[in-house]
Amino acid sequence: MLWIALHLPLLSLESFAATLPDAVASQPLALVEAHRIAAANASAQALGVQAGQKRATALALAPQLLLGQADERRDLQALTSVAHAALAFTPAVSLSGRCSVVMEVQASLRYFKGVQALRQRLHDALQPLGHRVHMVSSPTAQGSALLAQVCDDLHCPDEAALRQALAAAPACLPETARAQADVLQAMGLHTLGDVLRLPRAGLARRLGLALLQEMDAALGDRPDPREPLALPASFHSQLELFARADTTEQVLQGAQVLLARLVAWLSAQHAFVRSFRLVMKHEPRWRHDDKFPQATTLDIALAEPSRDAGHLMVLLRERLAALQLCAPTMELALQADDIARQPPPNGELFPTPQSEHAGLTRLIERLQARLGREQVQCLSPVDDHRPECATAVQAAEPARWQRWGPHDARGAAQSSAQPGHSAALQATPITRPVWLLMRGQPLQELRSQPLLEGRPLQVLAGPERIESGWWDGALAERDYFIAQTAEGALVWLYRARLPLSAGREGDGWFLQGRFG
Amino acid sequence: MEPPFVQPLVNATPDAKASPQARARLGAAAVSPETLHPSLWRGHQLGRGVEQGVPSGFPALDAQLPGGGWPRRALTELLLPHPGVGEVRLLAQALARVQQAGRLVMMFDPPAAVSAPALQQLGLEVDQLLVIQTHAQVRPEADRLWALEQVLKSGHVGAVIAWLPPRLRAERVRRLQLAAHAHDGPAFMLREASAQQQASAAPLRLALRAAGADQLALRLLKRRGPPLLAPLHLALPPVLSAAAWRRLQGLAEAEAAAGERLRAASFVNLA
Repeated sequence: MLWIALHLPLLSLESFAATLPDAVASQPLALVEAHRIAAANASAQALGVQAGQKRATALALAPQLLLGQADERRDLQALTSVAHAALAFTPAVSLSGRCSVVMEVQASLRYFKGVQALRQRLHDALQPLGHRVHMVSSPTAQGSALLAQVCDDLHCPDEAALRQALAAAPACLPETARAQADVLQAMGLHTLGDVLRLPRAGLARRLGLALLQEMDAALGDRPDPREPLALPASFHSQLELFARADTTEQVLQGAQVLLARLVAWLSAQHAFVRSFRLVMKHEPRWRHDDKFPQATTLDIALAEPSRDAGHLMVLLRERLAALQLCAPTMELALQADDIARQPPPNGELFPTPQSEHAGLTRLIERLQARLGREQVQCLSPVDDHRPECATAVQAAEPARWQRWGPHDARGAAQSSAQPGHSAALQATPITRPVWLLMRGQPLQELRSQPLLEGRPLQVLAGPERIESGWWDGALAERDYFIAQTAEGALVWLYRARLPLSAGREGDGWFLQGRFG
Repeated sequence: MEPPFVQPLVNATPDAKASPQARARLGAAAVSPETLHPSLWRGHQLGRGVEQGVPSGFPALDAQLPGGGWPRRALTELLLPHPGVGEVRLLAQALARVQQAGRLVMMFDPPAAVSAPALQQLGLEVDQLLVIQTHAQVRPEADRLWALEQVLKSGHVGAVIAWLPPRLRAERVRRLQLAAHAHDGPAFMLREASAQQQASAAPLRLALRAAGADQLALRLLKRRGPPLLAPLHLALPPVLSAAAWRRLQGLAEAEAAAGERLRAASFVNLA
């Protein structure tokens, strides 16, 4: 059995810093508990603020110090997301104490090709969550958890090395020994090695059976079963912001933390998310105000299930940029239920058609997120003789470009038929102009010859009679002509077919299109 | 005795030990830059890109373009007096080739509504085409340039045709040219003819003008190579049928003979 313990020494500070905007998080911060400083970050410590000082002393040393309260629920959420990130490597993960996670990885060593590689990948997976992690591996869970509190990046391959490492650890390290720290010091026991050299019966009588049992579990002489963490079926995470967020940019910074947790939860079950929802709860301006909505909800659906934090962030940013916040936001919540379990995409060196299509889907999603869904259009021809109805415009579906198989076959078949195809293309003249005006533009006439921008048009070919549309009330009875402008560009004109129906269509020449 | 053949022109310095004849031969056949590296050329030669260009379908044009076709990974500027001079028919063959390779073509803000049957007649596949409109945006110019940059940088799209906003600043075009380095395919930027006076970062610039029915006059304003002084005349895929062509010829002759320009239009059933 090989247990890896992940200890987060600055968990409370980091979870507090996550609620602040980025610019403020690098300033001196400290957590206060019962008017005494509980923890301070590096820039506060540089100014002289220490844990245990009185609040007034700390503020005198650093006037710009930002003080916050430690919140257990907030710390637990952050620790749980670290555990979820660890669940991607092994199912046997459990929380240990207030700020540690232990995981049993013996069964995963072969898949991940050794302890060093596994530890490196674990380190990379925990990077986006933004916590400082001490990682220690040893044959027992309790031993790893104890050692992780004092040192970082240690590997004890067997019990002898573990015993040696524990012997050098301070005596007050175990939970059960902390209450009796002065007793241990009076006895002259400074390290755990000293404690372990004492006779067991005397140790149990003087310092308590609990300490003996904990040391036995740490050394591997006593079974220490751990309850593995159960992954929740749906993702629900909250973040209460320290300062109200007035702009969408500030909301985005908070949402980044939540998205990192979502990605950790997804990687624990090797799944991809299809849609998620961001709920922004508002601060009511007046207590009895019912007109303002309590929360603004933003639903984001993805065309292709994805786990890429960068891509989700881009989509969220574009949607938030288009959103108008009606009131300042105090709390953010992220929910995700709709997930898809599918094999991950292959990472390849050279772009293959498959990876290119996946990238194309994301590109179209990004464009639609910024410009609006209706602005990215695809065309399709409609069987209608009326030129303004012959083209249907629809919003593009990004998921259409995911499938490669049938398209590839079509491409191959077409490239083989290309010489015949292009020969056929050359043979038929083009009868429709590329540029169409949806409503005909009326043209001036001079001696019954149409004028475009004051210059006469030379009618060259026609008439092509189009009479259609009696079934939907937009009857079109027109004679179409191809005409040449003074420079030589070709345009498509029409005039109403019969003089009798001229009143309906309008009299005279109309410009319908230009041959591009 | 020195060998009768001359060494390949990699090492151009004539050997001191070689005979005077060999030295003269080596000196005369001086090393030409294009054999050293594809990006080198002399001023009077047509430059050659690292990659082969996309054939345009018009051999007379391909002979004048560096790389033998529309350049990849670079912008191509086309300057038109107004839409509808034949620019789509000029580009249709190159775009059809890109689509046949299975890649997507994107159009940005076409100047009028696009007719899908017309594109099909030109040989393009309508379901391999996306149209992106930014007219309805709050800041259309900024959004159009952003979308263009994203599409060019991603490199997943086969060809891009964009109608740029009028009076665009030169540094914006330069930024698009830098983004186009990641785009493996042609990128056509269509602008107004008055942009001729402005310098542009695009390595290939053409000015288009209609020169008669189904004829296009091209002037190569800028290319990697010597300037082309005379405009090229290309015959576009025809819109007019043969009978209409004959009528046009007859009209032109009659007009040259009579010298009278305006004629009354008459309804005659033409084939």
